[in-house]
Amino acid sequence: MSSLKELQDLIHEKYGIDMSELDPSASMREKGLDSLALVEFLFAVEDHFHINLPDVDSNVDTLAELAVVVDRVRAAKAAA
Amino acid sequence: MNSIAVTGLGLVTSHGDTPDAVFAAMMRGESAVQPVFPELPKPAAAATVAFDQSRWFTKLQLAGVDRVSQLAVAAADLAMKDAGAAGDIDPERIGVYAGCGMGGAAALEAAYRSGGRVPPLTIPAFMPNAPAAHVAMRQKALGPVLTYSVACASSAVAIAEAAKAVQSGEVDVAIAGGTEALIVPGVVLAWQAMQTLASFNPGEAASSVRPFSLDRTGFALGEGAAFVILESAERARRRNARVYACLAGWGISCDATHLTKPDVPGQARALRAALRRADLKPRDVGYCNAHGTATRIGDVIERDALAEVWGNDLDHLSVSSTKALHGHLLGAAGALEAAITVLALQHRQLPPNANCTEIDPACRMNLVTRTGVAAPQLEVALSNSFAFGGTNAVLLFKRA
Repeated sequence: MSSLKELQDLIHEKYGIDMSELDPSASMREKGLDSLALVEFLFAVEDHFHINLPDVDSNVDTLAELAVVVDRVRAAKAAA
Repeated sequence: MNSIAVTGLGLVTSHGDTPDAVFAAMMRGESAVQPVFPELPKPAAAATVAFDQSRWFTKLQLAGVDRVSQLAVAAADLAMKDAGAAGDIDPERIGVYAGCGMGGAAALEAAYRSGGRVPPLTIPAFMPNAPAAHVAMRQKALGPVLTYSVACASSAVAIAEAAKAVQSGEVDVAIAGGTEALIVPGVVLAWQAMQTLASFNPGEAASSVRPFSLDRTGFALGEGAAFVILESAERARRRNARVYACLAGWGISCDATHLTKPDVPGQARALRAALRRADLKPRDVGYCNAHGTATRIGDVIERDALAEVWGNDLDHLSVSSTKALHGHLLGAAGALEAAITVLALQHRQLPPNANCTEIDPACRMNLVTRTGVAAPQLEVALSNSFAFGGTNAVLLFKRA
């Protein structure tokens, strides 16, 4: 299960960032999402997947890294 | 004294976003006040803006930008484009002078309603100086970027302060005005609790604000933003700019008597100060865009202040409050009404004092009772803004 595609859709829907620019390994901060905007995006992620994210490691900087965290939380929730 | 020219107008209002459309709607006496928030226990009405955010912002840019700042960015941008002023200005010589009464009301209300998951950008969205900062970023204004929060006089004060900065040579171009966007249920409830909002029967919201009328019951809230571009008349001439009008004088005073009760001597001091600075006599002024909030006490006090300063010349002064049409924009009221005053001078037409069915004898003066009134001799006009807190601001404009 990878949440990457859904995350890409979500970020496109919320911020209008074009799909072609949504390189999963690119820094989200460099795309204009500073740390506070990123937290707001995480709220949208939680709403979308009906999950509670742990306080996300501040090292998470790319969509691919975020997808790993989301996958883990979703897997844990499914197993519970 | 260096004359101050108004070379650009930028309006984002319930009556549209071009000066001509807004002024034409004023002249027709069109009210934008309509019912809002039917879920509230007591009927509420307000004048709201149909605002297309996508004209000014990408979705990404909107993160953490409250509506109050969005409206400001749009209005200031329209003003700069209208003035054709950008391009040849040293960015360090551009100042932003923005009035705002409340800041990002929607952001604060959303935070309260968030169920504990408060958006982390709430504070930068809410802070009252955010609109000025966003305008500065958009226009690359590197000079003084200041916010004036003086309740209902905020943006009139901002324009006066901007004029001083232009006059003293501190800046070459001032982007001056105000913004307000507080039409959210919590804020409407607070204003209702203060007993200052107009009551109305179902279907009659549009005519609920009746300045100087015997049956007036208060105002309706409005949202919007209005900015003017100020520069020295000399600079405007040099670059062949269109000049709407000159800001000939301004007067600022404080009642220093009561937080919310208006005061004749305080208002009269501001009126006299504006006339003195412009070196004009009351008889020279043909039109007054009144503060006119249609509260029981406020309208009488304003009339008495005008009567005190104008004396026997009061009948020569045509008066109207356009708040009947666009509502009370609080921190943006002074700027919007200054723009309407400037347009009245430019067009030599007087917007009506709408919805006044029977003039309160205590407010007896020369109200503009009809629509479409022409004033071919009009040379000078003023705009009043009197604030909670006791600060009074008067802007006096002269035809270019």
